[in-house]
Amino acid sequence: MSQPNVVMSVRHVDAKISIIDIQGDITALAENALMEAISQANMPSVRAIILNFGGLEFMNSGGIGLLVTLLIRMNRQKQHLLAYGLSEHYKHIFELTRLNEVIGVYDTEVGAVAAAARLT
Amino acid sequence: MTAFLSSIQRLRRIGPRSRKPEASRNTVRKEDWNATPSPITIAPDDPIVAYFLSMPGAIEIAKLHLDSPALRDLKSAGVTITIPLVSQGELVGLLNLGPRLSQQEYSTDDRRLLNTLATQAAPAVRVAQMVRQQRVEARERERIEQELRIARLIQQTLLPKELPSVQGWQFAAYYQPARAVGGDFYDFLYFDDGRLGIVIGDVTDKGVPAALVMATTRSILRTAAQAGDTPGIVLEQANNLLCPDIPPKMFVTCLYAILDPRTGRIHYANAGHDLPYQRHSEGASVLRATGMPLGLMPGMRYEEKETYLKEGDSVLFYSDGLIEAHNPARDMFGFPRLMTLMSDSADSVPLIERMLNELASFTGSDWEQEDDVTLVALQRKVAPENKATPSKLPEASDNTSNDGWHTLESFDLPSEPGNERQAMRKVGDALQHLDLSPKRIEQLKTAVAEATMNAMEHGNHYQTDLPVQIRVLASETCVAVRISDRGQNADIPDPQTPNLEAKLSELQTPRGWGLFLIKNLVDDMRVTTDQNHHIVELIISREGDSHASQNA
Repeated sequence: MSQPNVVMSVRHVDAKISIIDIQGDITALAENALMEAISQANMPSVRAIILNFGGLEFMNSGGIGLLVTLLIRMNRQKQHLLAYGLSEHYKHIFELTRLNEVIGVYDTEVGAVAAAARLT
Repeated sequence: MTAFLSSIQRLRRIGPRSRKPEASRNTVRKEDWNATPSPITIAPDDPIVAYFLSMPGAIEIAKLHLDSPALRDLKSAGVTITIPLVSQGELVGLLNLGPRLSQQEYSTDDRRLLNTLATQAAPAVRVAQMVRQQRVEARERERIEQELRIARLIQQTLLPKELPSVQGWQFAAYYQPARAVGGDFYDFLYFDDGRLGIVIGDVTDKGVPAALVMATTRSILRTAAQAGDTPGIVLEQANNLLCPDIPPKMFVTCLYAILDPRTGRIHYANAGHDLPYQRHSEGASVLRATGMPLGLMPGMRYEEKETYLKEGDSVLFYSDGLIEAHNPARDMFGFPRLMTLMSDSADSVPLIERMLNELASFTGSDWEQEDDVTLVALQRKVAPENKATPSKLPEASDNTSNDGWHTLESFDLPSEPGNERQAMRKVGDALQHLDLSPKRIEQLKTAVAEATMNAMEHGNHYQTDLPVQIRVLASETCVAVRISDRGQNADIPDPQTPNLEAKLSELQTPRGWGLFLIKNLVDDMRVTTDQNHHIVELIISREGDSHASQNA
């Protein structure tokens, strides 16, 4: 079971905001899938990317490391990373790791998109 | 302040081009047109500045009589008439003209035209100057940022990548550079006889110069220590090697200690560094030894001292970034506070974590870190048989014990990536009939996944023929999951609080969250190791929300 158990699809809300829908696991094995999705999401004009965790089944410490790697990359490009759809358990994990301080966490897509629009 | 003579050139060109070729003979040579005039610099205190500000409009240079260097320059450059360019009460330039090609005086119409031109040109020149100034400042900021990146890179590259793994001892280190990046460093030196050298130092100054001296000092110390000499001799040799090459006004404070893990002896010498603290059963004490910082003058001698660490004792090495941190009221963290913290042996929080918690609450959330903060801690562990275990779990072969533990589930998993999901599922299934909240079960399952991954990766190195054994136990008050692998005699490091800022700044690896997660998702994590196994026990209380769930 060393294959990544995740599917990601990209939606473009507008020229500045893209959403990545995550279905499956965020572990270190998801790196290629996530970076591929980011490349698709990353049109030249995109200033914010929103991760939809509504379909998240499992995230471990490797997945947290992967999100930190993604944040580093987006910080370099002066882009914003937001998230919604996290379960209460993974919201707790975000709080423990303080990821919620650097990734805007919202309950709904509407909330996340509105926040992204304010940032871009 | 610079007056641009290029405007003269442009005006003078109008003459010859507008005339017939023969009319331009002997007036202006072609090479004169193409010559680039030198800018005239006007000092701010030159009296001509005040004159220009008080006399708007065209001014005939020949009629001016001032003791002014700029006026002399204007005359020698052949300027006949000048129109000050004034914007918002500030002289931003001059519109300078030489003699007319016809050799006639400038007419009233000429002057009116020039005055109009100057009025319109002045704000444009001002804007251009501001843009140029901003570009210069942006380039300077970029240069400084680049220097900081280089300094961080040097330090990041040279700091140890791993903590020592020594049976019976626990090591921890923390390094957080200030924005300006100081010259803190630490190092571990391994000797063939099992002894361990510990170095902590601080270079005066900041940025690239400090980072380069830090790199040099580290190399010199490593070389000097190779022969296994005593700490005082090593510092003496390092000082003598460093003195000829260290830049003026720079020096290095440094403490070098050698730990003998078998006896607990720490032999140390100090080159002007902050004194380490030892925590022991009676409180805390300062490890004193005298000596001048490295690089100040050659031929220094360094006092050597020793101390012994008993089981449970610990030592904290640190840099002045901790002691000299200020709170919003400008009070300093200081030595008395550190001594108090070190003396409180009742606190079970790991030493560095405790210091960082105290530092954070002392400085407040808006703290702008003034200097690098470096902490290195070592602790002699309490042997497992001496460790207080109020509710010792039963051995693997027991299904029940006198303490009331009973086994809910027991299984083995091959060490293959991804099998942690199976561990989670089976543990979850085993707990479904207990009176635990779904939240607590989720937290325990995540901790189990992390511990299982560690066991498969670090303990069994993903050798599929080496299984991870998992046992789920319950008592009246607790649930425990015991995870064992075949790691032998290698210590599992204490969980450290990851530094998110350092990770995002690429000063630390983005990974390294596993132990931290486990620690924060369960009420207790016990780690034991013997010659054949690592065993991690994850324990949660069944009696309502407790430590881990309160973090939620």
